[in-house]
Amino acid sequence: MSRRKQEGLPVDTKTGKPLLPRKQPGYYPTFQTLSQKDFWDQATRNLVLARVERLPPIRFFSPEEAQLMAAVCDRILPQDDRDELHKIPVVNSIDERLYEDRIDGYRFDGMPSDQEAHRLGLQGIGQVAQHMFCKRFEDLSPLEQELVLKTLHDGQPPAGNDIWVRMPVSRYWQLLVQDVVGAYYAHPFAWDEIGFGGPAYPRGYMRLEGGDPEPWEVSERRYEWAAPCSSPSAEFTPVGGSSEHKGSSGQGGTH
Amino acid sequence: MKKPLFGPFQASGHDHRLGANQRIKVPMRRYRNNEQVDYCIVGIGSAGGVLLQRLARAGFNVVGLEAGPFWDTERDWVSDEAGSHRLYWNELRITGGEDPLALGANNSGRGVGGGSVHWAGFTPRLHPSDFRVYTEDGVGVDWPITYEEIKPYYELLEKEIPVSGPAYFPWGDPHGYSYGPHPMGGCGDILIKGCTSLGIRVSVGGPVAILSGSHGDRPHCIYRGFCIQGCKVGAKQSTLISHVPDALANGAEIRDHCMVSRINLGKDGLVTGVTYFDANGHETEQKAKAIIVCGYAIETPRLLLNSACPGFENGLANSSGALGRYLMAQAGNVVLGRFEELVRMYKAPPAHALTEEFYETDPKRGFARGFAVQTVGPLPISFAKQMMIAKGAWGWGMRQVMMDYNHWGAIALLGEILPWEDNRVELAAEKDRNGIPVARITFNLHDNDKKMIEFGKNKVMEIMQAAGAEEVVQEARYAHLVGGARMGKDPRTSVVDRFGRTHDIPNLFICDGSVLPTQGSANPGLTIQALAARTADYLISQQSHASKRSTRSTEQEPAIRYDLSPPGTWGKGVPRLT
Repeated sequence: MSRRKQEGLPVDTKTGKPLLPRKQPGYYPTFQTLSQKDFWDQATRNLVLARVERLPPIRFFSPEEAQLMAAVCDRILPQDDRDELHKIPVVNSIDERLYEDRIDGYRFDGMPSDQEAHRLGLQGIGQVAQHMFCKRFEDLSPLEQELVLKTLHDGQPPAGNDIWVRMPVSRYWQLLVQDVVGAYYAHPFAWDEIGFGGPAYPRGYMRLEGGDPEPWEVSERRYEWAAPCSSPSAEFTPVGGSSEHKGSSGQGGTH
Repeated sequence: MKKPLFGPFQASGHDHRLGANQRIKVPMRRYRNNEQVDYCIVGIGSAGGVLLQRLARAGFNVVGLEAGPFWDTERDWVSDEAGSHRLYWNELRITGGEDPLALGANNSGRGVGGGSVHWAGFTPRLHPSDFRVYTEDGVGVDWPITYEEIKPYYELLEKEIPVSGPAYFPWGDPHGYSYGPHPMGGCGDILIKGCTSLGIRVSVGGPVAILSGSHGDRPHCIYRGFCIQGCKVGAKQSTLISHVPDALANGAEIRDHCMVSRINLGKDGLVTGVTYFDANGHETEQKAKAIIVCGYAIETPRLLLNSACPGFENGLANSSGALGRYLMAQAGNVVLGRFEELVRMYKAPPAHALTEEFYETDPKRGFARGFAVQTVGPLPISFAKQMMIAKGAWGWGMRQVMMDYNHWGAIALLGEILPWEDNRVELAAEKDRNGIPVARITFNLHDNDKKMIEFGKNKVMEIMQAAGAEEVVQEARYAHLVGGARMGKDPRTSVVDRFGRTHDIPNLFICDGSVLPTQGSANPGLTIQALAARTADYLISQQSHASKRSTRSTEQEPAIRYDLSPPGTWGKGVPRLT
């Protein structure tokens, strides 16, 4: 494995060695929601299996944009600890959403359409990469890529002003992160990683209290790990940086 | 058991299914477009579903026009977070102001059943004080009705839904529930533990519109936690499950995928019918003797604004200028706590325990009105989005915190934001695919709201800490939408009277969340359904007046009609306490 690839890997904090890519990261090593698919209702089974088995083609992004978007998504939710067979396709499902114009039912005043926002945002990321490292974003090391994205997270991108006046950078950042987590955590591999039981109709759940697993779920087996050395995304800092007094509001549906 | 005994679960037959056991007969009755029906209802959601059922059962010719689909729950709904996108109103709206509201999945339904399809199902009543907040606190506005007037309808709908909850609910007007409380999930245990150690009372296992025991052809809850993705079980009530089947059995028609674009006014100052785009995108008209708009807090004002015509240049029934104004959302800050032990909050309904200990005004707190604290249970995608805001998570930090998903629990604020004139729905320059201008929403928090949120948020975080969380973070957000066409006694400051009749046009009614003058700290669903049943009783009692097209609205409270409940609901359950 190349040195650069090794640098992008998370670390076993006990041994200090890189955690090699594996089939299933997370604390529930043998847990597989898909093994329960026969217990799901037909509509849910069809939908989830299609998500796993069918990779939507890229129709919205241009080939160049798709490549850049893939590099961006790889840092918004890095998958360096997943082996090639078990990486979760993120760009394709975002592309499908934008191509089919599946919006969330609103647009913030002062924001362009989701489609235009993503196009503009990629341009902006490219410009920040050039400004900071004189390279294309795709050609930067994982750490450099994170440093570029951190400026967006902090609401202080050092380049691309003409873009950020058309689109508030914090709004774009939230759109981007929401789209990426929306694609990643919709996938059964991600459910296995975090120990989420997944679809449960018509069978339901029985063990509701104390964090007890169902008979077909597994107990947690934790291991200690850390993000790659000096990765800025391992630190938790407020969206928009500490200077943003107002803070941001959540947008998903909860109650 | 590794595999189901008889192979993978399959959907059976071609019946239209509503929940796991209920099948309905199609085709339903069809009215001709040029046939003047008694009532045309625009939007078959929480209020529209109840009205359709009541009016059909009372013998009227009723057509319901619904912009979204008429769901077959077995075929159309899934046990999946990302796959439930179609349940929400996803058409474009522009949201702005100082504190812009997220819409769509957060608060807007589409399809028969409307928002009741994806509500979490909390069904607390408003408190008696909610109906006179101006008199008591000098803020907001008084309702044109009292708690005593709506109380019989609360009791009736709690039976029809039916609501599960404790035998004794201590806040507001104390009362009990007909179906037993639900068992606790992880977040309920957290709320109980935190509140108990701080000496705060908690209502456990309800009140929620989720069956704790099976009821007719509706099974009890299976605790799968996908309430806000639509209950495939049929245990959580939506008007689709509880009222629509009875409406169809009594001759009502529902036309789905029909988007109403305008309400038409005749020369005599009465509305004559609605123009709509049908499922094939053809523009057509339905004639009706009276129209009831049940489009909820954004689409109702939007439709009336889009129906502006000579005599009503600023929007139909908007001589007051109040249409679209006094829009409200509740503060819904989610407080998340990480625990050493596992929680697994995806199990059990998100809604299952709450406290209203802080509901009423307390002068010591320095602001008017108050808030409730309720359980929520975000699934992984929602939780990840919350972590983005609450912790600023992304990259490796997001992967790491998500691996701890099962260690986190969540409870939330539900706080009363007051009605303000500048929080409103207007028309934007953008148009939808039918060429109808979309809504623009402006939302600003005012001083009292900000103080309430600050105090409430801190109180909920204190409860989370007292429950033993080792890390507590919070995400600011809003929940629910009401107001925008408020009811009132004064035609100069309100859009409809206390029965939902528009002050300006005698045969045009509004019945949905938009008529609420204030909102309390109670989830609005039960109140909306109760008001719909009351408006129905009023319309039925006015039958003779309606045929004469009386222009005066009778002030007399109608007699409550217990005989119009769906079969097997009224009179069931535990006896009333009072």
